[in-house]
Amino acid sequence: MNILASYDWLKEYVDLKDIDPQAFASRISLSGPGIERLYPQGKDLDGIVVGQILEVKPHPNADKLRIVTVDIGVKHATIVCGGSNLEEKQWVAVAVIGSKVRWHGEGELIELKPIEIRGEKSEGMICAANEIGLFDAFPHSEKEILNLGTALVGAIHELPLRGGMPLAVLLGISGDTVLDIEITTNRPDALGMVGLAREAATILKQPFLWKASKLPSVKALAAVSVNESAFCSRYIGTRIDGVKIGHSPWWLKRRLLSAGLRPINTVVDITNYIMLELGHPMHAFDTEKLSQNLLVVRSAKQGETMEALDGKTYELEDGMLVIADADRPQAVAGIMGSETSAVTTGTTSIFLEAATFDPVSVRHTARKLNLYSDAQLRFEKGLSVVAPTDAMARAIELVCELCGGTVFGLSDFQVKPYEAPTFSIALAKISELIGVPMEKKECVDTLKRLGFTVKADARMLIATAPWWRDHDIESGRDLVEEIARVYGYANLPAVFPPSLMPKEPVLLLRQEDRVTDLAKQAGCTETYSYSFTSRETQEMAGFDPTSMLAVANPLSGDFEFMRTSLLPSLLQVAMQNQERFRTQNLFELKNVYFPREGQLPEEQPQFGALILGNDVAWKQAKGLAEHILKGLGISQVTWKKLSDDSFWHPGRSAQAMVGDHLVATIGELHPTIAERYQFEGNVALVDMSLPQVFALASDVKRYHPIPVYPSSNRDLALLVDIGISAQDIIAKLREANVLIQSVAWFDTYKGKGVPEGRKSIAFHFEIGASDRTLETADVDTVMEQVIQEAKNRFQAEVRV
Amino acid sequence: MDLEPTLRAIGNQAREAIASAKTLEQLQEIEVRFLGRKGELAGLMKEMASVSAEDRPKMGALANEVKVAIEQLMSTAKTSLAGAAIHERLSQEQEDVTEPGILLPEGHLHLMTQAIREFSEIFERAGFQTVRPPEVDWDWFAFESLNMPKEHPARDDWETFFMKAASSSKEHEGRMLLTPHTTNGTAHLLKEQEPPIRAFSIGKCYRRQIDLTHVPMFHQFDGLYIDKGVNLTHLLGILEYFVKSFFGPERKVRLRPHHFRFTEPSFEVDISTDSRMAKDGWLELGGAGMLHPNVIKAAGLDPEVYSGLAFGWGVERTFMMKEGLKLDDLRTLYKNDLRFLQQF
Repeated sequence: MNILASYDWLKEYVDLKDIDPQAFASRISLSGPGIERLYPQGKDLDGIVVGQILEVKPHPNADKLRIVTVDIGVKHATIVCGGSNLEEKQWVAVAVIGSKVRWHGEGELIELKPIEIRGEKSEGMICAANEIGLFDAFPHSEKEILNLGTALVGAIHELPLRGGMPLAVLLGISGDTVLDIEITTNRPDALGMVGLAREAATILKQPFLWKASKLPSVKALAAVSVNESAFCSRYIGTRIDGVKIGHSPWWLKRRLLSAGLRPINTVVDITNYIMLELGHPMHAFDTEKLSQNLLVVRSAKQGETMEALDGKTYELEDGMLVIADADRPQAVAGIMGSETSAVTTGTTSIFLEAATFDPVSVRHTARKLNLYSDAQLRFEKGLSVVAPTDAMARAIELVCELCGGTVFGLSDFQVKPYEAPTFSIALAKISELIGVPMEKKECVDTLKRLGFTVKADARMLIATAPWWRDHDIESGRDLVEEIARVYGYANLPAVFPPSLMPKEPVLLLRQEDRVTDLAKQAGCTETYSYSFTSRETQEMAGFDPTSMLAVANPLSGDFEFMRTSLLPSLLQVAMQNQERFRTQNLFELKNVYFPREGQLPEEQPQFGALILGNDVAWKQAKGLAEHILKGLGISQVTWKKLSDDSFWHPGRSAQAMVGDHLVATIGELHPTIAERYQFEGNVALVDMSLPQVFALASDVKRYHPIPVYPSSNRDLALLVDIGISAQDIIAKLREANVLIQSVAWFDTYKGKGVPEGRKSIAFHFEIGASDRTLETADVDTVMEQVIQEAKNRFQAEVRV
Repeated sequence: MDLEPTLRAIGNQAREAIASAKTLEQLQEIEVRFLGRKGELAGLMKEMASVSAEDRPKMGALANEVKVAIEQLMSTAKTSLAGAAIHERLSQEQEDVTEPGILLPEGHLHLMTQAIREFSEIFERAGFQTVRPPEVDWDWFAFESLNMPKEHPARDDWETFFMKAASSSKEHEGRMLLTPHTTNGTAHLLKEQEPPIRAFSIGKCYRRQIDLTHVPMFHQFDGLYIDKGVNLTHLLGILEYFVKSFFGPERKVRLRPHHFRFTEPSFEVDISTDSRMAKDGWLELGGAGMLHPNVIKAAGLDPEVYSGLAFGWGVERTFMMKEGLKLDDLRTLYKNDLRFLQQF
């Protein structure tokens, strides 16, 4: 997750003199958290200065407007203003001519120009907080202007007010830079400014300046009990009475604003401040709004409800961890407090919570409730049971400083004594893994600066992880990472490893590439559809999804059934494109998934193709299948008519067989299915189960000698019964004489001049000999034999 | 008989006829008329017998002279008329060459096929064997053996797709799921092969997400090299080789610390760029690291003896990072709009 960190604030905990934010970002990103963006501060306030009102006069032409004279240092400016709270001697924010403001806090930034308002000159503007982006910091009512004197109580003594002083300087934000930093999930410690500073101090070898606050010793207990210690390994509850709650001082608001948080009131701001400073979320309850003034950490009862601080009411389930009073939940543990017990300006007694909740429980509860917060984001990463000590100490310190009050009682529950994890690693192993020799002294020094307790002898290094890393450091190997990253990956050479004995490429992947290339050569466009499909996609194509492997938790019904054929997806693609593409040649080569009892499904590569065209689409599909089979070196293919399948057109479909093996199914889509897609044209498909096909593929290239002597060509048209196939005729006539080199179909005709039930089918014959040029008489003899064979085998008549 | 006047007359007639011929066909007729087997010259030659013996050589020479002269004229005229014919044809065949060409039947490979091939080729040159991991797998290979413990968020129902199917009969293998990364390929390789292994798993994976930059089905690759003595500098070496091969020789690589469960140390790999879009001149490429000892242990190997490096990132994302493609919505890849597919 990303955090926003003020560079100024960071400087409170690590000495960063002479290091500018840019250089800081470049160096830290290489060894620690990645700093993704820098936002220089105060630019929005260019041209906004501090002014003191000298005189307020009525506007002659408007009741609600005043003519105000303001000392802005360089001059006394005259400004027409409608603020309802204008007073003489008041300190205000003045936008001078040329500066940019947002009118009434809305719309684009507008540059100020000298103007006349109802006939009176105005040189600039006295700003409301929302007009200069400060409404979150200094809320005030709608008609008013920002009164800096009251807004900056607590900060004013830091800088004497002076007319003309840039507002950004007064607010202390000019010169600051906010860093946008990515913190990896294993480092919740670095989500806090102190953790970040510790990283920086280690990497930059600069002094680390932070000191923990001390938890006061309090004899009296606060009324807290923990029933679910499995999910709450630490709970410190502190009750402080007699607090006065109001607006936080500017220094505190400023820190929250720099991190993108909105100030609320002193106590809430303090808990948020500590979350940002130490990385540990806290919560504060109004003691007097707690039934029997007590807290109990327990599991929610099924159906209990709570109105959270986001204003929504949540229904809780058994097993969700809550902090409850005697009657009802007052917080979903680690996620959000309830509206009922929220601390407000009227609160006089508070119950502060600093605790460690089980990360998995927090994550599951947040997911189930769909309720997220800054606290939850931190807790679900896993925080140490030691962390609440520092957080509570700091909270008590700040509350007493800013709100007064006295600690009434403090309870500290911890499920078991803390034991810091300790790991060891051989020094030689460190160098071996990094690839360059590492000095023992440097290794030890790095770990110590990161907070580890280190012991080392000549061979081994033994390190105890600091508590803020107790979830993240899990083995000796983690120590290597710490040492290597601080050393700097940029300081390592890039070495290409020695080569190994080459391995054969995976044959299946090679063969798939071959088929893909063959399909492309044939003019087909490759599609990629999702492996999981909707029920509709399957059913529309006449497939039954019930026997398919299904996703138990699909994103939606569109991604549910693991397909067992590529064809339903191809049909969808063709349908979606048919408005624009009246003819289409598509293919896909991907795995399909056949469920197997008690095993993983069979992931079987298939080839599917779709041709959207005219009457001969099925022939094109067949041509594509033939092209692919031939390209794979599969030649002994016989085609069988497929007339009994509800998916395929009974007259225009066929299966390609090699011996008993089915290698391809082609044909036109059955008209009853095609109708559902409203195709305008004929759709034909190719379906190939590739393991069958690849088993028969051959890489052997065989040379057939090119004839030395010219051959003769003859055409022959035969009248045969309609049911006789070209494939059979060719096979038989080819064998009529050894001089026949090839027989090729070229035309079939039915209709006028051909008797009913018969067809005219025509072939090219190539006739030749390898040792001589044939005489015409020789060729005639061969053709007579062909005709005789045709008559005998197929009751054919020669058609003239 | 004196044939001379007749011969000269034939010569003159032929000359006139040739000169007046407009087409190659007319010329052909003229050639037959004068030079053909039954033509005028041949006819005259039959009369040669009637010429006195002393005049015969002279007449013979003259006849040959006339014949050669006609042949020459004929040849010249043929050349000229043929030239004119071509000229005439060319003047007819003046086209607007700015009209679009006629496309030959053309196929298209999907961008992802092209990407997978390009990545595979680069790593095969570096000695990585390309393999395709299972898409439907057991929890053990996708998570448990990769040092991702039971409570890891990726194993939650809202991150990973689980199948409506019984868990494995081998208890440790757990539930059946759609692999959320190709790192399961690494787990299979470690289980099925003996080191040294240098392999490259590339294939489909699935996560419960869909928006501009995420699709529920996408592609990843995972490189693995495990042997004795594999170290960090080797990882840098391989990454540098890849980046220079794929993005160009002027590109540089840097590693930044990051966190992944199956590697320790883990990195984010950045490549240098001159693109103004990038912060600081670096673009994030993806994750890499040294195999976590727990992963090596889960494969039944001793992490004290073997060490390994691994890297893996999205095929779509990496391919789209190559300048020029400018595809801004990942979902476009799998919508199968032919207007998109036929661009590549």
